[in-house]
Amino acid sequence: MSELFRAAVNILSIVAIPLILLSFLGWGIVKKVKVYEVFVEGAKDGFQVAVRIIPYLVAMLVAIGIFRASGAMDVLSMILAPATNLIGMPAETLPMALMRPLSGSGSLGIMTELMKVHGPDSFIGVLASTMYGSTETTFYVLAVYFGAVNVRNTRHALPAGLTADLFGMLGAVFITRILFGL
Amino acid sequence: MLNYVWISLIAIGILVAVGSDTKDEIENPYRNGVPVEARIEVHGRPSTEMASWEGDLVLSGEYYRAFYSAQGGGEEIRQRVKVTTASTGSSVLMMNMDDRTPERWKLMASSGGTKDRLKGFLKTVRFTEEGSTAEVTVEFEPVHFVKLRAITHAALDYAGTAVTIALGLIGIMALWLGVMKVAEEAGLIRSLTKLLTPLTKRLFPEIPPDHPAVGAMIMNISANMLGLSNAATPFGLKAMEELNKLNPKAGTATNAMCTFLTINTAGLILIPATAIAVRAAAGSVNPGIIIGTSIFGAGCATLFGLIAVKLFQRLPMFRRDDPGLASAQKEVSRV
Repeated sequence: MSELFRAAVNILSIVAIPLILLSFLGWGIVKKVKVYEVFVEGAKDGFQVAVRIIPYLVAMLVAIGIFRASGAMDVLSMILAPATNLIGMPAETLPMALMRPLSGSGSLGIMTELMKVHGPDSFIGVLASTMYGSTETTFYVLAVYFGAVNVRNTRHALPAGLTADLFGMLGAVFITRILFGL
Repeated sequence: MLNYVWISLIAIGILVAVGSDTKDEIENPYRNGVPVEARIEVHGRPSTEMASWEGDLVLSGEYYRAFYSAQGGGEEIRQRVKVTTASTGSSVLMMNMDDRTPERWKLMASSGGTKDRLKGFLKTVRFTEEGSTAEVTVEFEPVHFVKLRAITHAALDYAGTAVTIALGLIGIMALWLGVMKVAEEAGLIRSLTKLLTPLTKRLFPEIPPDHPAVGAMIMNISANMLGLSNAATPFGLKAMEELNKLNPKAGTATNAMCTFLTINTAGLILIPATAIAVRAAAGSVNPGIIIGTSIFGAGCATLFGLIAVKLFQRLPMFRRDDPGLASAQKEVSRV
């Protein structure tokens, strides 16, 4: 069942982009749109958008870089370790949960390391990879998306995003314990 | 909110680094100023008169562990070194780092400025009779402020990375923005939007259901779910631009923007391809086993994220700045 689903989504994700290109541009021709001219007109904004997000991305990544390099994550993990025991989350996976919203490459590194040490099919290995797939890099998403429209007062986007991360992590622990539990 | 989190990341980082470096100064884990006793097996034709000679620095793992109170080192440590004697008579030792170098030395080398070499000073050298080995005491270059150096490096490094990421977006941004523009002119986005109106009307009550922003958001979320992150980002940024056109207060996030980004940060994805690839590379028997658990986890994230974003937008501290509300009030006062 899961194999079939996986195969279907795999095929879909491979044909999706050619299909979108063909259908969108083809539909344009049908509707008598001057496709080339309109495409170029739209594509023109690509550069400006990319350049506009640079200051936001620099601000965010530098702060995250300083936080990561200082080893503050270890200190935070130590403080929070007693709480994780209560919900049945192995202390080894706590850095993963904390890093996930902050840095995609950082959490990828932690996940790889955990699998190397504990094995990919161990409880910790499955939990770490589930955690990786259970949420997105909140800080990066906020910096890029708000940066593109020059929004500086982000209001409740960050607390809501972090709440999503928290429940993603809790959900990962819950389902992994039930299906692959100790 | 973001202001405080941002400054906290930086401040906590710097304070922890200062704390950690202060602890190092007290505990001296790198044994600054304390010489290591070791043996050098000299390569080639040994001679004390030569200005520079090479050899293997050898010490027992047991001695290393006791000296640094650290793990690792194995049975015996053997490192390639080069000794250069200056005209003043003092000898400098350069050790090349390799895969078998113990962690503590690697750390010392990387904080000393030369990433692949560790510098030390030979305090005493005593050659054996035949000159093939030398009993030496080496004092490595003192190591200070490891973490402060690391955060300085990280700050500069990540600033560069940010620009690399942004510039890397230019090409795919242009491609997808162009395609989107064609689809928009052809009326395709509008028909797509109509299909999902019942759902989008609930999630984004402030946005007219046939607005182009809705189409771009749908494209973004679908691309994300299929794992096409290259296409998802341009669609998402296009959606933000469209949402911003409805924003009466430039520079402040609207409720719709926050809701949209919460869905994005929850990252619901049908196939977590990266995690599966890493599992396969680590030799998993069944790498795809996490598909179901990940969908459950991300589903929780999306559901509770949406509940949270709808609750938070009612809180006074966030409501105060609501652009939608501000414009409504302005209209009232004008009447």
